[in-house]
Amino acid sequence: MNFDLTDDQREIKRTARDFLAARYPLERVRAIALDGEPDPHWDAIVELGWPDVAELGILELALVAEELGASLAPSPLSAHWAAKLLHPGLEGRGTVATWAGAVPHAAGADVIVVDEGSRLLAVTGAEASPVRALDPTRPLYAIRYDGGEELARDERAWQAIAVMTAAEAVGVAARVTRMAVDYAKERKQFGRPIGSYQAVSHACAQMFLETEGARAVTYWAAWALDHDPSVAALASASAKAYASDAAVNVARSALQVHGGIGFTWEHDLHLFLKRAETLARAYGDARSQRERVAAELL
Amino acid sequence: MDLTLSPAEQEFRDTLRAWIADNHPGPEPEGDEAAFAFRRDWQRKLNERGWAGLTWPTEYGGAGATQVEQAIFFEEIARARAPQMANVLGLTMGGPTVIAHGTEEQKARFLAPILSADEMWCQGFSEPESGSDLASLKTRAVRKGDEYVVNGQKVWTTFAHQSKWCMLLARTNPDAPKHRGLTYFLMDMEQDGVEVRPLVQITGEAEFNELFIEDARIPAENVVGGVDNGWAVAITTLMHERAGLAFALQARVQIALSELADELRGTTDPVVRQRFAQIAIEAQVLRLLAYRGLTRGGEPGPEGSLGKWLWADVNQALTTLAMDVRGERAQLADDAWTYRFLRARANSIEGGTTEILKNIVAERVLGLPRA
Repeated sequence: MNFDLTDDQREIKRTARDFLAARYPLERVRAIALDGEPDPHWDAIVELGWPDVAELGILELALVAEELGASLAPSPLSAHWAAKLLHPGLEGRGTVATWAGAVPHAAGADVIVVDEGSRLLAVTGAEASPVRALDPTRPLYAIRYDGGEELARDERAWQAIAVMTAAEAVGVAARVTRMAVDYAKERKQFGRPIGSYQAVSHACAQMFLETEGARAVTYWAAWALDHDPSVAALASASAKAYASDAAVNVARSALQVHGGIGFTWEHDLHLFLKRAETLARAYGDARSQRERVAAELL
Repeated sequence: MDLTLSPAEQEFRDTLRAWIADNHPGPEPEGDEAAFAFRRDWQRKLNERGWAGLTWPTEYGGAGATQVEQAIFFEEIARARAPQMANVLGLTMGGPTVIAHGTEEQKARFLAPILSADEMWCQGFSEPESGSDLASLKTRAVRKGDEYVVNGQKVWTTFAHQSKWCMLLARTNPDAPKHRGLTYFLMDMEQDGVEVRPLVQITGEAEFNELFIEDARIPAENVVGGVDNGWAVAITTLMHERAGLAFALQARVQIALSELADELRGTTDPVVRQRFAQIAIEAQVLRLLAYRGLTRGGEPGPEGSLGKWLWADVNQALTTLAMDVRGERAQLADDAWTYRFLRARANSIEGGTTEILKNIVAERVLGLPRA
């Protein structure tokens, strides 16, 4: 029994962090997400081998996903992962439509895996038109399509998608917690750093608790998907429920800690808040995941 | 990362599980005295097998087990609904503190009777005027020849009426800054200068006591970790309390959760299902954080505060849900959940209030400025 990451896992996480930090500083994220500049890094990501989910374990993918969330990279990578998990034979870049009205990164996707409830389809040649996304770093499209190849249902793939999304949410929560703590140390009111007031410091402590808790349950779920199928359903639903709540709680609380500046467009915090709110609703919100947990235990 | 048990851990678990099955003494009897005797017998049985001081070094009568084996132990005890051991404060706090800071003479004198439950231990830290601000405590110890004379008052001393030894924190240097003038003593409870008065709590039980100390005597050789160094020694005790007990406590949360699940099985009330699921998830998070803390090795650190804090939240939410699903019947005080609900109110106060734990996380983990 050992909770520490292996050297290889640490290396994957560090590589992802360095790669994303070098290519997606927040000015670049804003330029791509808000000013419509193209994201030029997909080819480099393909070269690293990250899009091929079969090459990595779920925990390793989750570690990369966590860094994706922390960097706020406007990359189609996690949408592609979801498609590839559901449709391992997929060629090119994919995404997943759980609702045809809001499909992430659909423009330029070669294949869209469409969940119609009763059946799962691999769709090519769909027509994608942009819709206004809450989170501009994760562009959404409404799609129209005409049938597709029917795919087998795979519960484990959905569980893995939930865990990857939870991992992205953990990355968001961790980064936002750091932002709030740094701000609370530096911002002074009444002659003292605001972080010396317990109303603020306890809010930061709560952020830390939820972030660490979300990370622990998400790593457990990722590990279970690869190594302990008997708890995978419970663990993945637990991870998505807890991490969804953690990310939105942390982001909302961090905005409060930042005060007025956090409410401005110019500050980066709203980008994280919007990613958190979006991830929380994608692939099963906390309420639906808690119902899965209840179904497992009651 | 590998969350499976190693072959050695698995073997330990199997051996332990079989042993508990063979030696389980059945349900605990009602009443303080009967329950105490029952838990003492259980501890002695475990000690004969070498398991009372599981993680203590073998030279002091322990089994030299790893922290993970200790965790497995608590989980198996919880799984089998086996009793707790009687001398819990001696085992989780007093013993480890003597092992870490005590002299060889103290180790030889004090450790074995902790394991055998021949000498029970209690903790004299809190005072009526010094709760969260523990370092402000006023109980005075003045050296006279080879002994110290102690005067003061302590409160919330669990097991005081059954204890032979008290881990006593007293002020030896009133002129030093408040953290630097304290000394950690082992005080004999069996003397005229120590009066124990039971403190009846909101459950109606007297699990805690008040201690009135008037000219009590402590031989100088019962100082642990050096004169005026009591704060550092006490912190060891408190960190062990938070890390060690946190694991045992989380294991008990898992039992309570499974009992509540048995009651709620098949319920279609979506609010109850949501609340139960949320508590189950948080209990899992608690378990994972406890394991993560244990496998990191070394002395328990400020992260242990997260576990204690979350445990209080989870146990309060769990017992509150149990009350809520009782509906009108919750007006009665007629079952185990009534007691558990009331008892859980103290969880966010005892062993460090949630507010103090948040301060520790904010200041020592996040590096925020002191309040």
